[in-house]
Amino acid sequence: MPQFDFANVFWPQLFWLTALFAVLYFGIIRTTLPRLSKVMDEREDRITADLASAREAKEMSDRVAEEYQAEINRSREEARGKLAAAKLEAAKASKKRLAAADKRLSAKVAEAEQQISAARNAANAALRDIAAEGAEAIVARLTGDAPGRKAALARVDAILGGVN
Amino acid sequence: MHRLGLAVNCQTIRKNKGFCMAGPMHQFEIATLKPLELAGYDASFTNSSLWMAIAIGVIGVFMFVGTARPQLVPGRWQAAVEYVYDFVRNMLDENVGPEGRRYAPLIFAIFMFVLICNLLGLLPWVGAFTPTSHISVTLGLAFLVFTVVCIVGFWRHGLHFFSLFWPKDTNIALGLFVFLIEVLSFLSRPFTLAIRLFANMTAGHVLLKVFGTFVVTLGSFGALPYVFGVLPLAVNVALTALELLIAVVQAYVFALLASLYLNDAVNLH
Repeated sequence: MPQFDFANVFWPQLFWLTALFAVLYFGIIRTTLPRLSKVMDEREDRITADLASAREAKEMSDRVAEEYQAEINRSREEARGKLAAAKLEAAKASKKRLAAADKRLSAKVAEAEQQISAARNAANAALRDIAAEGAEAIVARLTGDAPGRKAALARVDAILGGVN
Repeated sequence: MHRLGLAVNCQTIRKNKGFCMAGPMHQFEIATLKPLELAGYDASFTNSSLWMAIAIGVIGVFMFVGTARPQLVPGRWQAAVEYVYDFVRNMLDENVGPEGRRYAPLIFAIFMFVLICNLLGLLPWVGAFTPTSHISVTLGLAFLVFTVVCIVGFWRHGLHFFSLFWPKDTNIALGLFVFLIEVLSFLSRPFTLAIRLFANMTAGHVLLKVFGTFVVTLGSFGALPYVFGVLPLAVNVALTALELLIAVVQAYVFALLASLYLNDAVNLH
């Protein structure tokens, strides 16, 4: 194998390896890599910072959303309370108005009933007179003899009393 | 060994513009492109050096275009570079911890170098050479990792670094025995690291070349041309996919083991 022909192969390769690797390391890698790693570090920092600020913004928006929800719940509760109070108030008022109307109506009913009974009494009284008069006229026509108003009235009262 | 002879033979034949079918080991042959000597040592520019340089050129384009104008929202190139870098950084975060980021550029450089060398070596037709199939190269990289681990260990913990090898709550005799084993295993790390990568790359390329040879020899069967070459060709296509996977996985394993060794040095287990 030519590789083990060290006498002819070793020193030239080692010399050029040393020289060329020195060029590679100091001339190429050392001059280019730091620029690149600076940018890569910058990018890493930037990404970390961006992520941190994004996390912060998310936390803030979460907090705001929480506050908003709490506020909504609170005002809903308040509205519910107000509604119940208003309902109660309205029920009370309508009860009162109903009672007043009831009172007024029953007064009217009582008055009407009074009028009716008065009318009925008047009608009854008129009926007695008319019946007595009629009976008097009928008896006078049938017998030719007038029984007199008093007797007719007495008879009518007896009959009506029996009927009533 | 006769394969090596064949390969050398081929080189001479090629110089004479002749034709010759290269042996499966020929692809690992080092060809000197420009002879050079430094302080008495051979430092010639070879095809291995050329492909290492091409790999570094590819990495350079990838890196410079990808980080030309880094932006918070990355473009395609930048996203590609970031993807690889992020991968290495995560590996270090997981295996070393927060201290590990400091070594990300080094592990990234090693990972990219091994990965691109492995991948470029798979290019067909262009005469690609795989530097990571040479133990000289992988051993160099492994010793780089080993040296860094030792420096980091002694720099952070001083002589306390040796407690890495000492088992807790044991008597002295057993402790010494385990200490010896631990030191040996620590010292063998660069070699295992180097041999793993080199052996994987070499085996894969030999296999590809062997089946490539089968395509030619079976396909040139006179009575029924081409037909028998189809099967080894299909195998080679599948093998290429497998080798792509191995190229990536071995680069990953190399970087992963390097970061595990770094973890020992940084955290002492």
